[in-house]
Amino acid sequence: MSDEATLQLPLLARVGHAQHCKICLQGLPSSQVDVDSARLALAFYCLGSLDLLNSLESRTNDFERQDWREWIWEQHTQGRYGTGFKPSSYMTPSHNLDNYTEFDAPHMITTYTALLSLSILKDDFSRLDRPGLLKFLRACQKDDGSFYTEPGQGGDSDIRTTYCAFAISSMLDDWSGIDVDRAIPYITACRTYEGGYGQSPFCEAQGGTTYCALASLYLAPSSSPIRGEPLTAQQRRQTIRWLVHNQGQSGGFHGRTEKEADACYCFWCGASLELLGAKDLVTTSALASFLARCQFKFGGIAKSPGEHPDPYHTYLSLAAISIHPPGPDTTTSTSWNIKPLDALINTTKETAEWARSHIPGQKIKS
Amino acid sequence: MHGVKRVGQSKEALGAKKQREQAKIKDYLALTDDLLSRKKDKDWSKEAFDLTTRLLQVNPEFYTIWNYRRSIMLNGLFPPSSPEEINSLLASELSMTTAALKAHPKVYWIWNHRQWCLENVPEGPGQDGADFHGWRKANWDRELYVVEKMLDADARNFLAWNYRRYVLASMPIQRPKVSELTYTTRKIETNFSNFSAWHQRSKVYTSLWDSGSLDPIKCQEEEFELVRNAMYTDPNDQSVWMYHRWLVGSGKLYITVGALRQLNSTAL
Repeated sequence: MSDEATLQLPLLARVGHAQHCKICLQGLPSSQVDVDSARLALAFYCLGSLDLLNSLESRTNDFERQDWREWIWEQHTQGRYGTGFKPSSYMTPSHNLDNYTEFDAPHMITTYTALLSLSILKDDFSRLDRPGLLKFLRACQKDDGSFYTEPGQGGDSDIRTTYCAFAISSMLDDWSGIDVDRAIPYITACRTYEGGYGQSPFCEAQGGTTYCALASLYLAPSSSPIRGEPLTAQQRRQTIRWLVHNQGQSGGFHGRTEKEADACYCFWCGASLELLGAKDLVTTSALASFLARCQFKFGGIAKSPGEHPDPYHTYLSLAAISIHPPGPDTTTSTSWNIKPLDALINTTKETAEWARSHIPGQKIKS
Repeated sequence: MHGVKRVGQSKEALGAKKQREQAKIKDYLALTDDLLSRKKDKDWSKEAFDLTTRLLQVNPEFYTIWNYRRSIMLNGLFPPSSPEEINSLLASELSMTTAALKAHPKVYWIWNHRQWCLENVPEGPGQDGADFHGWRKANWDRELYVVEKMLDADARNFLAWNYRRYVLASMPIQRPKVSELTYTTRKIETNFSNFSAWHQRSKVYTSLWDSGSLDPIKCQEEEFELVRNAMYTDPNDQSVWMYHRWLVGSGKLYITVGALRQLNSTAL
């Protein structure tokens, strides 16, 4: 039985996936124009994949890494609502690189991905405006506890941006920028009877937002009231049950009740189970088999077999494999060896360590 | 990131394709630059407005251009217009974005823009009664219709369900909540595996039981019958089992409380 299983699981095409991400870092065709306003997020998925594959140094050179660091710092922008990172330079007038207007404000999600990307690129963060970053976080928090994507009441607000605010505070090791006591009830209000968490109150439970909720709750500082055990025993059981039931016949996870499997949910649901201490409940052989079939012939991993790949699904598939690698009964190929992941902030343990030792800086009096 | 399968192509075809790509990218960048400088000069003209239309057709995710477009309306187009003209302008915004939604049903910014338009419809056409809300009612009613069409196309589009909840809550003249129950029944009967509809149903019931508009005990028999039918139709479907869990969980709590109230009132 184990011989057959070993024969059945294809190799993880590491070289192809690294190549896919490297190419996307350099440019994209016009069909991908809708990613233009999210370039710093895309950069993270590409760099993160190379990091997970342990291919950053071998596939890129010093000049390129320096270039990317510089480009990311160009998105570091200050203004009346504090400091953060813009999604890209697309709306920045060339004469006004330092202070933003309402049209090119920093963005909560890309501030999070910028910090991780710079950590992957081993930046020393000497340029980071930490007081400004705290001011930005404060400017984004709403009365209901959630966070806007942009300061001064701009953009959407839901549990995803809330997670980013928590992750940024955690990396800064400074929680004075957010009101945790106000945020926690919002997160709790997103919980559904299914056991997962929706994007906002009244929504159906969804894998991605369940991860955001759980990671936020587990990241919350020791001073917050829910620290220790954010969920009751019954809630924990219910959430685990919903997550486990999201792994379908194909081996992949779906994101919502009775939907199709999608590679990205292999991470969102898989990482959630890891955070809840229930990773043993994932059928890793089936998971690996599904992700193997999501691989695109010319590199990159797609959301499901037969679809086109992209860095987002490539990164999250690799991250899922990192947490739930196929066991020796399924494969003995080293192609499936991925660097260990810090599931709370969603980057390799090595990068997380770099982030936590370089981002905080001196203790700030705010 | 669309799921279009690749087809093999000749060298010439690939070369021509590459040229077209480069032309497209060049156009896009030129348009972006133009709008960027106009925005910097606080250009609130109709010309700028039309340019944002072009760019948003190419890239509806370009959210700052949606912001600029709204600024143009507020600073340039609205001030010299009568309430009637403003209503007309917003109505055409809504039909333009309906077309955009068909092509991009999950782009949050389009839904967001519609929301802004609806919230800015002026009072009128008249001064009192139904007339006072006339324009608003017409636009909000149409909005509900648009959401229904979106849900017909993709019954699990949760942005659309979310938006539907927002529309129902915000309409100037509210629909009775029971009519939403009927809507969920219709969606469920079309497809038992539509968990989003079951989910909406649980929300509507919770609201109706909370307000005392419906008696949970009376509802339960009908609900269990519906659930039984769905289970027989497709026992492998997660949706109905999940709904059943809700029904015997929170649903049951209401029923229990309702039963206690009844007991209490007969005892008095």
